[in-house]
Amino acid sequence: MGSLPYRRRNHQSRDGPRPPPAGHSVWNHQRHINKTHSIDSAFEVGYAVISMQTALYVLLAFATAAIGTLGGLGGAILLVPVLVVTGTSAAIAAPLGLVTVAAGSISAAPRQLFERSVNHRIGITTEVVATTAAVTGALVSNAIGDRVLTYVLAATALTAAVAGGRRRPTRNPPDPACVPSDVGERVGSLSGAYPVGGGIAPYRVVRLPAGLSLMALAGLIAGLAGAPGGFIKTPATSEVMHVPTKVAAATTTFTVGITASAALIVFALQGRIDTRLGSAVVVGALLGGQAGALLQSRLSPSLVRRVLSVLLVAVAVVLVVQA
Amino acid sequence: MNTERRPIPPGRVSTIRGHWQRPALTAATLGALVLAFAGLVLPRDVADALQRAALTVVIATPLLRIVWLCVRWTNERDWRFLAAGLALVAVVGAGAVAAMGR
Repeated sequence: MGSLPYRRRNHQSRDGPRPPPAGHSVWNHQRHINKTHSIDSAFEVGYAVISMQTALYVLLAFATAAIGTLGGLGGAILLVPVLVVTGTSAAIAAPLGLVTVAAGSISAAPRQLFERSVNHRIGITTEVVATTAAVTGALVSNAIGDRVLTYVLAATALTAAVAGGRRRPTRNPPDPACVPSDVGERVGSLSGAYPVGGGIAPYRVVRLPAGLSLMALAGLIAGLAGAPGGFIKTPATSEVMHVPTKVAAATTTFTVGITASAALIVFALQGRIDTRLGSAVVVGALLGGQAGALLQSRLSPSLVRRVLSVLLVAVAVVLVVQA
Repeated sequence: MNTERRPIPPGRVSTIRGHWQRPALTAATLGALVLAFAGLVLPRDVADALQRAALTVVIATPLLRIVWLCVRWTNERDWRFLAAGLALVAVVGAGAVAAMGR
């Protein structure tokens, strides 16, 4: 299995123009045409090197997804800066981060749907703005230098560190007038009710324009840097728009998947998604997210959030020094 | 800590319960995991197709949820949010067209 690509590549390099390296689809064809020499040098070392690189990406995605899930921020906010620190170009790391965001969004959805904590109407309304910004960011990011993207990433990591460290639970009191059949979102409005503490708590969105402005910022960051805007979206939804934290977090998990998908379509059409590394981070992120969710009940969430904040600050400092 | 009490929101409760979405999303998650893993360990002749399939599942599923919501909101006659869902699909489509044009 391992020797065939090696032989095929050597044969092709002697006999004529090189096709894109095996294992890399049309999704990332253009990038490899531009970097034929460096990529082929890496591949000619042997198949084992590529396997080690793939395994490293699986492990990094697993570790960051587990830690990110424990801290409630998701794995990509840590994965993308760590990939850049370990030598991956920011332009390549961004799509990989978004792949983990979309995968995490899908895997968390069944449980959140069962709990009926997602408000799809709030999610879709805010996503119109966030996705527009994300697509714009993804289109523009191709023209922005790696150094600027690294600075954006460092600023994002620092902001996430502050937001994650300061986050406090918000409690909406149950309303005795509510009955179990009231649980769910309301037709035609941005409101609903959710089960909490043995009762039912109603809620209604306020300050929608201010919330939408923050959603646009979150979408732009996702498109530019590949970091999910969840650390902006959840506080914006709960603190600015007065949606209960549990509903805000579940709705954000739903929406970041859409933002990531929209930006990933742009990246795929730009040839910036490495399918092998993308598959590696899908495996790592899905398994790591489940591991993090299992560990979540055994560790103190506030302690994990503080540790995650310290890690993010350290990563941001390294990014700035490297840039 | 926010402890203000809000009145029960007016209007009908949405019929969305996720009865169909939940198994479909569980299948998509497992499918993406199996395809991605197989794409990493199988020979390259098949690995390429499996890797592309895994990423396609991951990228397409959140967008299919929007389409599913549009169908549900049509059934509920919630035209305002149907328009929002269609606008979102249009934004994603416009982004793809713009990326192809570059």
